[in-house]
Amino acid sequence: MPIYLYIDRGTFVHRLHPTVKVFALFVMFWSVYWVDNPLALAPVGLVMLWIAQLTDSWPNFYRLRWLFAILVFTTTIAWMVFYRRGAVLVNVPIFHVSRLSLVFGVGRGIKLAELLAASVLFLSTTKIEEFTYGLQRMRVPYRVGFAISLSFRLVPLFIDSAVTIVDAQRLRGYDFNQGGPLERVRRYVPVVIPVFMGALRKANNMAMALEARGFGFSHEPTTFIEYPVKGVDIGAFAFLIALGTLNFMLYWTGLGGIGPLK
Amino acid sequence: MKTEAQILPVNPAAHAVRVEGVTFTYHGAERPALRAVSFVQSAGEMIGVMGASGAGKSTLAKCLNRIIPEFEDGDFRGAIHIAGEPLGHLRVCDVAPKVGMVFQDFESQLFSTNVAHEVAFAMEQVGMDRAEMDRRIIPALEAVGLRGFEHRDPMSLSGGEKQRLAIASVLALRPSLIVLDEPTTDLDPEGRVEVFELIARLRAQGLSLIVIEHESEELRAADRIMVLREGGIAAAGPPAEVFARTDLLMGCGVRPPGLGHALRLLGIDAHAESVEMAYQAIVRAYPRLAATSVDIVADPRAPERPAAAENASSGAAFMAIENVSFSYPGGPRVLNSIDLRVEAGDFLAIVGQNGSGKTTLAKQIVGLLQPATGRVIIEGKDRAQMRPAESAREVAYVFQNPDHQIFAATVEDEVAFGPRNFGLADDEIARRCDEALEAVGLQNERGSDPFLLSKGERQRLAVASVLVLRPRMLILDEPTTGLDHREQVRMMALVQGLNRAGIAIAIITHTPWLVAEYARRVVLLRKGAKIFDGGVREFFMQDELLRSSSFRAPEITELSRRFGTLALTTDEFVVWAKGRA
Repeated sequence: MPIYLYIDRGTFVHRLHPTVKVFALFVMFWSVYWVDNPLALAPVGLVMLWIAQLTDSWPNFYRLRWLFAILVFTTTIAWMVFYRRGAVLVNVPIFHVSRLSLVFGVGRGIKLAELLAASVLFLSTTKIEEFTYGLQRMRVPYRVGFAISLSFRLVPLFIDSAVTIVDAQRLRGYDFNQGGPLERVRRYVPVVIPVFMGALRKANNMAMALEARGFGFSHEPTTFIEYPVKGVDIGAFAFLIALGTLNFMLYWTGLGGIGPLK
Repeated sequence: MKTEAQILPVNPAAHAVRVEGVTFTYHGAERPALRAVSFVQSAGEMIGVMGASGAGKSTLAKCLNRIIPEFEDGDFRGAIHIAGEPLGHLRVCDVAPKVGMVFQDFESQLFSTNVAHEVAFAMEQVGMDRAEMDRRIIPALEAVGLRGFEHRDPMSLSGGEKQRLAIASVLALRPSLIVLDEPTTDLDPEGRVEVFELIARLRAQGLSLIVIEHESEELRAADRIMVLREGGIAAAGPPAEVFARTDLLMGCGVRPPGLGHALRLLGIDAHAESVEMAYQAIVRAYPRLAATSVDIVADPRAPERPAAAENASSGAAFMAIENVSFSYPGGPRVLNSIDLRVEAGDFLAIVGQNGSGKTTLAKQIVGLLQPATGRVIIEGKDRAQMRPAESAREVAYVFQNPDHQIFAATVEDEVAFGPRNFGLADDEIARRCDEALEAVGLQNERGSDPFLLSKGERQRLAVASVLVLRPRMLILDEPTTGLDHREQVRMMALVQGLNRAGIAIAIITHTPWLVAEYARRVVLLRKGAKIFDGGVREFFMQDELLRSSSFRAPEITELSRRFGTLALTTDEFVVWAKGRA
């Protein structure tokens, strides 16, 4: 099973200038940040669905389907506990089930799901080198940009290692599903410690290998791949500005909040 | 072809390396890891560095490119010159264009998403312009035999290809020296051959090389061998000279080459770089041993295997795999209609190239994976009806990397983890822990922090932590990877002892001498299918099968076959030869 999300498809999204892709990720986050209403989150969601279709990123969404489902479900439920506004529709102990808390909870769930979806789309269409280059062009120091992009590369490796560790502990008779929610979290200690120790070891090996390849020799390394700016990049940039502006206007006018649904 | 010239250093010097009195003590350590090491390496020379774990091999390698003392805290003394220039107080990255370093863990030294970019990475870091990078990439890939792979994702390459790519990426900088720190430890036989053939080609092209390696056979072609012991140079000289000192090698935790060792035991003063050379030397000394055409199987002279386990082979299948097939979601078939029976007390080696399905098969047995078709029967019960935790008391699995399970604060707690999960009483847990720790020789380490143990000790701890459940079968995935010879022998003696006590053993391995010396049965997998299941001697006679599976018989076995017999160990061969001579 592939452990990385990048899917080499050669679509126009894949071929966009790295700076535009990094900017697109920023605009998606920006757009989602300003609005709470599920309806107001729809434009960004539709754009992402369109890009997912265009770039054939569905396999990655399928792989993470449970994460999306859990994110939306648990967020919706959690906000029905903490967001205690609006007339109660049904009496349920602990929960405050009102039209307002439902809309707010669902909105928060969709919001998080869209943030995750934006990241999945970005990683499905952007190589690590492009990520580093894009950050560099946005004036992020090379070392910082490289560390950020490398961390994305490492996450799947750590997940892979965690799966092996879970298997190893299960074979020693360990049951991860015993007890209540807090106990279950605590029971992951025999996984977290080996993952953490492995991560430290891996990070140390990687740091040595990086320096041995000259990392740090120059503050502004050259780039092997040329990324010319094309017309489509300018078009995409303009579209992203418009999308970001639209979402900010939704917030500014109050249409992005949950107020109108009261 | 220009390629060969293009990968040589720009400014070759008479001396590739000059090391003067280098001593290094790690922060907090009681004694130095390197003690006054001095040597000079000529340009174009290949030095093989050997020694037990902790002898100072990797410390020396790290000194050569300033990882020590730049990266590791400690007290560094002495001086190192590369191509005539002192390293002085240079940073690691400043040394990169002079010294190329290839590490054991190939996964940790690949950073890019395509092969060409991986080769360019180091050149980008030193600020090389794009045109020059373009000029260097193809020759570097050609030198390592990866031309045509430019657009491949490095993660899609085999282990051997990944390591060759790592070598290409250091070659592109055209360093004066390349240091390879156990570059083949994690590779299968095919990957090992690929890397050592490449090393031979680089040497032929005049590159200065320092190769750290555990297997002495691989370093016979070096110009010089340097054996380290406790941080100092215990022996140095041409391979013929150093490998003749069998006792010294064994004392330093190095496995002497089987051929040379056999010659020594036969009282022949000669160096053999190949099976043919050893054969000729023996025939000269003992003409009566000249080969005859003998049917090995029927030959009563063929030495017998060491006696089987006393409690072994009751005849009833303890574990049976019946027609098992399996695919990962969306992937091709990884196992294809496998049938396998394991009897109580069996000792089998599961071999095959990377990706042949060995680990997947083991995971089917222990229940981490469920077969798509067929079934696994343990003690008459269908595995599908048991949870992995349930069958852990029947069949235990030791993962290749012991660090995938260690988490407790003490060795004793680590071992007690399994029995506690099964709710055993405290006194029973204590009794079992004593027993398991005693079996693996860690009884004096019960209060130690597991993370501070050596790799060999951690590997034995991993065995103890499943042994404590008293399984009837033990599957060990590459139990000797990353261990030095002394640790390997100790580990395998432990496994053999467990087998003699009646535990069925299955080792997944790529190491021919382990199969020859310890297993009684071999299961060979290829592309998910079982293509051989039989005795060890029978296995090592299947020349075509071995060749097509990239598996080799130990050299001593090949040598014995030249004489018309089949010996699995040096001792067996020597006994046979002395009996005939």
